[in-house]
Amino acid sequence: MTPIATQRRKAEQSSEPAIQPDVALSPPGGSSRVRMIVALLVPLVLLAAVIVLFVRTDGAGLNVAPAAPIETVQFGRTIMRTGEIELHLRNTSPQAITLAQVNINDAIWPYTVSPSPRIPRLGSAVLTLAYPWVQGEAYEISLLSGNSIVFAASIPAAAITTRVSSGTLLSFTLIGLYVGVIPVILGMLWLPAIRRIGAGTMLFLMAATVGLLIFLGIDATSEALELTGDLSDAFQGVGIIGIGIVGTWLLLDAIARKQRNGERSEAGERLSLATVIAIGIGLHNLGEGLAIGAAFAVGAAALGTFLVVGFIIQNITEGLGIIVPIARDSPPLRRLAWLGLIGGAPAIAGAWVGGLVHSLPLSILFLSVGAGAVFQVAYEIGRKLVWGSGALRQRPLFAFGGVLAGMMVLYITGLAIK
Amino acid sequence: MSADQGVSRRTFLRAGIGGAGVLGAAALSLPDVVYPATPSEQTPVAHAMHADGAHPMPAVVGEVDHAANGFNPTKVLTDFDTGMVSTIANGQTLREYTLRVENKTIEVVPGVEFAAWTYNGRIPGPTIRVREGDRVRLTLLNTGDHPHSIHFHGIHPGLLDGVFDARSGVVAPGGRHVYEFDAEPFGFHLYHCHTAPLAKHIAKGLYGAFIIDPKAGRPRADHELVMVMSGYDVDFDGSNDFYQVNGIPFHYDKHPIQLKVGELVRIYLANILEYDQSNSFHLHANFFHYYPTGTALTPSEFTDTVAQMQGQRGILEFSFKHPGRYMFHAHKTEFAELGWTGIFEVEG
Repeated sequence: MTPIATQRRKAEQSSEPAIQPDVALSPPGGSSRVRMIVALLVPLVLLAAVIVLFVRTDGAGLNVAPAAPIETVQFGRTIMRTGEIELHLRNTSPQAITLAQVNINDAIWPYTVSPSPRIPRLGSAVLTLAYPWVQGEAYEISLLSGNSIVFAASIPAAAITTRVSSGTLLSFTLIGLYVGVIPVILGMLWLPAIRRIGAGTMLFLMAATVGLLIFLGIDATSEALELTGDLSDAFQGVGIIGIGIVGTWLLLDAIARKQRNGERSEAGERLSLATVIAIGIGLHNLGEGLAIGAAFAVGAAALGTFLVVGFIIQNITEGLGIIVPIARDSPPLRRLAWLGLIGGAPAIAGAWVGGLVHSLPLSILFLSVGAGAVFQVAYEIGRKLVWGSGALRQRPLFAFGGVLAGMMVLYITGLAIK
Repeated sequence: MSADQGVSRRTFLRAGIGGAGVLGAAALSLPDVVYPATPSEQTPVAHAMHADGAHPMPAVVGEVDHAANGFNPTKVLTDFDTGMVSTIANGQTLREYTLRVENKTIEVVPGVEFAAWTYNGRIPGPTIRVREGDRVRLTLLNTGDHPHSIHFHGIHPGLLDGVFDARSGVVAPGGRHVYEFDAEPFGFHLYHCHTAPLAKHIAKGLYGAFIIDPKAGRPRADHELVMVMSGYDVDFDGSNDFYQVNGIPFHYDKHPIQLKVGELVRIYLANILEYDQSNSFHLHANFFHYYPTGTALTPSEFTDTVAQMQGQRGILEFSFKHPGRYMFHAHKTEFAELGWTGIFEVEG
């Protein structure tokens, strides 16, 4: 993924100066390079030897083999057709597992599994049961491995799984439009009003935007952390969150710096700030779209309608966040529309991915990318337009009041939604 | 709907992307059943039917390795062990047995191995069959790694009860003990290990059938079959994952018992099921005479279903009037669908 790649590149760059003097001191030629490669390999060879020794001596004499095998699986999507249940799962155990029998609601049931009942580590399998399930009723499916380990999947309310078609793709696009593009652009329509307000009000609005973004970031982090509860240990959910937040923060920081380097004028700098804010909000909406798409894909649509309204109301504040830095300038309309799309359209992509790909690790990554993005944007706005603003000197309480007001707005709209 | 009010934005998201197989609880609020209305649209239902019109039924996938297990429930049905017979000084018939308690891994359903404790490597243990008044001399060898015993249902001195200590027949690992008693009363009984923790010793497989025939015998039957009902808790959570007669779930479902119209069938039925309150036997499309504990020669009931608590047993007698395939199973449906089900195939 991008964040990891970025980190690696940074690490490589930082280690270069340490090596270069060494290379410069040695006489030019192949032998020094060979010596360097050998020096790099020696610890690795020794490491391999130590591992072999440890394994050969049965774990330093401690019998480290567990009394019972450790077996876990990660259930993916469950597809319900009339008279048929299809379970997707992945083996997240330290070793291969073999599926032996299947129990559904206290009945041993015939099944087929592809590609094989023996699932290699991190391999996946699709299990199909010809089972006459009843709409709206609850099912508990237990898979029994050859070592008598039970993996249970529950279906709280059985419903036909929405089949992916051009119709559902259109629906996901519309949902992305509703929760992403439309509210962001509606929020941007406040631009003429914002132009007419004074410096104090402006400062307060900036601070409120920071508050909104911090609240959204905390919310997304919390969602991601909660999802890790359902994720197999092998996938290291909290690690994914760390990579997502840190990587996104640093990536946006790099983009912001690059933009600033290219801009000389104050107005240009403000526009580039707005662009970075739009990218950050866009990444956040990608995560939100993914969550909604996934929920709709499993038939939660009826309940979703009410909540999508909630998303629309909350997301209108995001459009406001994009235009606040450029309120006093008059950027071209095309540029404004572009900013709106950057901020809102990723919700569409998110809804597609969420609806079509059912992946818990991916969901956690998207949520934390969104969290990292809004945190970074909050930091940028705060640094430049709140604490870096001259207006704060005369109104020292405005940062406190504004940030808190922003957080309270989301808290209160949240009360209404939840 | 209260379910709607209780679902937050967060749980909504979790329902959607929580990958642990949790589908949206939100589906509760879907008003309409989505099954196709017209027959022509019902092709998906056909997935649930075999080509011959049979509907899917509970079953295991595959076949256990009976040779590796060392016993086959089809043979267990009619495998009566009458012991090594001799006559002692007072003219009494002596029947000598040797039972070994063995730790043994048994493939209880295809692909699932169970670390069992067995008498003579099989579940249930050998069916011990003697005549009322015979002298029974049974040597118990314990090759396991826990103390074990044999506790007979019957009338005998307290010191042969296999419960409290070495004197009364609790055998330490590597040890042996000889139980000797006169067989009474006639009927259909049980034996099992009675070492604490008792539930574990029974659940792991230490039990068997014990028949004491009346002195004058019973009327001749065309088939005498032993059925010992029990279960397996393969994941050790204190509840059974499988139920069965004679050791292997679904065995007589995969391998029906062959009978002929008009033949007299006598079933020695016992329940030693651990962890559950009771067990039962139901015969399809037929009725049987029931002799509780087999201690009387006249039946107490003419029925098609009988319940037994753990340790209860009785004798069933019936014959089929019509040819066909007839199920027999626990009339606790859950037990049936978890393996305690079988079929009589009756030829005309």
